[in-house]
Amino acid sequence: MATVLGVLSSPGATADALHGLRDAGFEDLDAFSPVPSHEIEHALDRGPSRVRGWTLVGALTGVFLGYLMTIWMANDWQLVVGGKPFSSIPAYTVIAFELTILFGGVLTVIGLVVHGLMLTDSKAGAYRPSFSGDEFGCLVSCSNEQIPRVQELLNGVGCKEVRVVES
Amino acid sequence: MAVTPEQLPETADQYNEDILSVLRPPTPLYVIAVLACAGLVGAAVAALLVQTYWGLGTTGLMHPVMWGVYITTFVFWVGIAHAGTLISAILFLFRATWRNAINRGAEAMTVFAVITAGLFPLIHIGRLWKFYFMLPYPNQRGLWTNFKSPLEWDVFAVNTYMTISILFFIVGLIPDMAAARDRVTDWRRHLYAALALGWRGTAEQWRHHSRAVLHLSGLATPLVLSVHSVVSWDFAMSVVPGWHTTIFAPYFVAGAIFSGMAMVITVLVPVRKAFHLEPYIRDVHFDNMGKFIVLTSTIVGYAYGVEYFMAWYSANPYEQMSFWHRAFGDYWWATWIMIICNVVVPLPLWIKKVRLHIPTVWVMTIFINIGMWFERYVIITTGLAHDYDPAAWGYYTPSWVEMTILLGSFGWFFMLFLIFLRMFPIIAIQEEKELFYHRQVAGGTH
Repeated sequence: MATVLGVLSSPGATADALHGLRDAGFEDLDAFSPVPSHEIEHALDRGPSRVRGWTLVGALTGVFLGYLMTIWMANDWQLVVGGKPFSSIPAYTVIAFELTILFGGVLTVIGLVVHGLMLTDSKAGAYRPSFSGDEFGCLVSCSNEQIPRVQELLNGVGCKEVRVVES
Repeated sequence: MAVTPEQLPETADQYNEDILSVLRPPTPLYVIAVLACAGLVGAAVAALLVQTYWGLGTTGLMHPVMWGVYITTFVFWVGIAHAGTLISAILFLFRATWRNAINRGAEAMTVFAVITAGLFPLIHIGRLWKFYFMLPYPNQRGLWTNFKSPLEWDVFAVNTYMTISILFFIVGLIPDMAAARDRVTDWRRHLYAALALGWRGTAEQWRHHSRAVLHLSGLATPLVLSVHSVVSWDFAMSVVPGWHTTIFAPYFVAGAIFSGMAMVITVLVPVRKAFHLEPYIRDVHFDNMGKFIVLTSTIVGYAYGVEYFMAWYSANPYEQMSFWHRAFGDYWWATWIMIICNVVVPLPLWIKKVRLHIPTVWVMTIFINIGMWFERYVIITTGLAHDYDPAAWGYYTPSWVEMTILLGSFGWFFMLFLIFLRMFPIIAIQEEKELFYHRQVAGGTH
């Protein structure tokens, strides 16, 4: 397998390049960008991020644990005051709410680390510092025989530079 | 003078150069400022050691006023923290793009303010080493915390707020840390590389990052409303005259945004001047923040009025006595400082010309912060000093220990902010560049 990198100067041009490559049958694509871009995201069409699942699980865990902890502890150490019930759901809703936010937030960040930060080392070789500045990268994985075709496509969409990163 | 859009950078890379230029080596003035702040912190630490060794008798806290400067300052700093979350989370969800230039500074302020606030309940309890009694931990006595207590709610609310604010701040910083890593050549490169967490700006990373920021914004938005509501319930859930009122939650939230916005302006005006950031932090930002101040000042002023109206309309002699005492009793001076600074001083901000006169706005924001500290002082001390039984009435005067720790908290906050200024980009580079590309698509002007 080979990896070819095309360097572009705007998110629109990068999205156009990605569309062109997909139309030509290349599916293993990625992009480098100094800014988030809906155009690039749509061009790659990867669907919603799995981070949302982490947020949901975190929030549900938080609300469940919030009520479980307060109700269990109130019954384990009983405050006998004027015949009032040991568990006070309205008061415990504050704790459950806070833990919903806390667990939801913490798991969101863990989800980001797991999916977005830890599993991307394979792209390290193609990275260049200008990708955090004003350049965009279009990364194509293909067979060695397909390299000329990819180079032709990338040059055709106005890449400033096209190079084979790995072959 | 207003900065025209033409003064914005011509290329995306120029954003990196301009904003990261703030990270240049410190000037003598900067070092003096940091040392001055550190001096205040040192004095506060010395005062805290005196208090810890001799006990809370070194403070002015005495029956009936057992909450004083420490709780006042706790509420003040929690309030200051609110503007950052409002700007970074709520305005993000509303797609208010003007927030981009100021959200990083406001977020940093939020983090440092809530860290500062969190110190005060610990200082207030006197025996610092017993702070963990507020946490529900398994112990051999089989004793759990009382979750029906608003003070316990506060432990959860403030800690959640601090955690989410720090996470939100760090997640937003990741792409900019990568930009700094790619340009800085000295020892800080290693720091930025570590904080960038392997960021390379791949589409996959952006996809997850954008979703995480969106979700954190959604989670932080109710926190803006809930944290100060919970803090207000520390008072409102009790039966102390002047405290026991249902208007406290919205009144406190509006006050928090009011003081937070004022502090953002207080901090950003000198930062903009010192680091020549006029093309980024423009007059429109101060104009918009001025509008927030006008709105929240009006709500706060309305709440002051409603408190007096309800005291009169309730026909409750204790409430009436409490509010009469506030305005004309021992603490009349504090009450009138509060009203003048929070309701009268911001009135000229209704006029656009005043909102765009930055030196005037800056001076106003300092008065607003003084007024907002006094608001909490008035609520806390007047309520406790004059409750139901005249035989138990008292007067609270803060001691030098409390005042030194109060001043030290400002030193601590500004010291952290100054260190942040030289270590991290004060403006969110990637968000500014995002706007740059949007402007290019919209018509080529920038």
